[in-house]
Amino acid sequence: MSSDFYKTSILPFAGIIIKLCRAYTNSQEDFEDYYQEVCLQIWRSKDNFREESQWSTWVYRISLNVCLTLLKKKKNNVQHFVSDSITADETEDNYAFSDESLNLLYDAIRKLSEIDRAIIMLYLEEKSQKEIAEIIGTNPNNIGVRVKRIKMRLKKILDGKIN
Amino acid sequence: MERSIENIWKEGFLKSDALIAPKINNLYSQKSIHIIDKFKRMFKINLIAIVAFSFAFLIVSFIVGIPITGIIFFVTLSVLVIINKKLLNDLNKIDLGVSSSQYLKTFNQWIQKQIAINKKISKFLYPIIFISMVLGFWFKDAEGMPLGERLVGEILVGFPDTYLIFGVPVIGIVIALAIIGLLVLFGGRIYKWDLNIVYGRVFKKLEELMTDIESLRS
Repeated sequence: MSSDFYKTSILPFAGIIIKLCRAYTNSQEDFEDYYQEVCLQIWRSKDNFREESQWSTWVYRISLNVCLTLLKKKKNNVQHFVSDSITADETEDNYAFSDESLNLLYDAIRKLSEIDRAIIMLYLEEKSQKEIAEIIGTNPNNIGVRVKRIKMRLKKILDGKIN
Repeated sequence: MERSIENIWKEGFLKSDALIAPKINNLYSQKSIHIIDKFKRMFKINLIAIVAFSFAFLIVSFIVGIPITGIIFFVTLSVLVIINKKLLNDLNKIDLGVSSSQYLKTFNQWIQKQIAINKKISKFLYPIIFISMVLGFWFKDAEGMPLGERLVGEILVGFPDTYLIFGVPVIGIVIALAIIGLLVLFGGRIYKWDLNIVYGRVFKKLEELMTDIESLRS
């Protein structure tokens, strides 16, 4: 990969990729693998970008689509989509931000379904319902209702944990 | 007062350690772990292996005197390779930059198409392999005459009442047809069973993702 391309076209949007990859992984090792894979796929797909959307929206689409369908070998050597909900044994190699509340929020987000994770991440990134619907490829009218449900679920999971 | 998730999100990412990009080295030379790339690799390896095997078998078949088997094998496997090469080209057309719904739908359509095509092929492939083996050995030279005719001659010595159709014992035809029938019946199932062992979880997950997205569309 050209380092110029990475510096000029990916790095300015690394925040989006990092936030998303963190939501679909439970360890630093997986996170780094996901981040690298997203960057690789952005580079490979760059010729398909037709400027019908903003570069950041397109980067978000690639990142999300990669995260939704990434295969990785788990310890038992069987291939899985590793974005499955977090389980007790997987929390052992959990990694953390310095902000404890953010860690708790991420843990809660990881307990959601893959699509709900995508929706809440886009919502927290202040994307409009229309933009979220465009990225996911669905009806914008249903996004608002789904966001409300997800927020209620997150509040329930986080209940009493954050002050 | 309880903080909103929006505030936790905003404030959490203001801290300096939250958004540090990992170092990436030799990214392009690294093996992709994405499912589509894995499928591409698997397809390429399979196709190369089939081509190599069909060539090798063709040569061996002439050496051991069963060229009919070798030729039928070669033609059948060549058709298999051509069809799957086209499927591989379709896989290259899947665009990651479209909406998740469209991307998952396109990918799922490709999977369903390749399963349906290869399932159909398997229904014919195993019987053709069996028939080619039978024909190959039937016409194999056995001291100046085809092995099949020599075998029938020996059967007729032991069982002179054996009923023949076009010079082949009926019992032999019945057994061969039964085997062909079983191979047609189970060929597709064997393929799907084999595929499910390796990618069953992936297919299930894909289905779940699509169902979830569909629920948002209605």
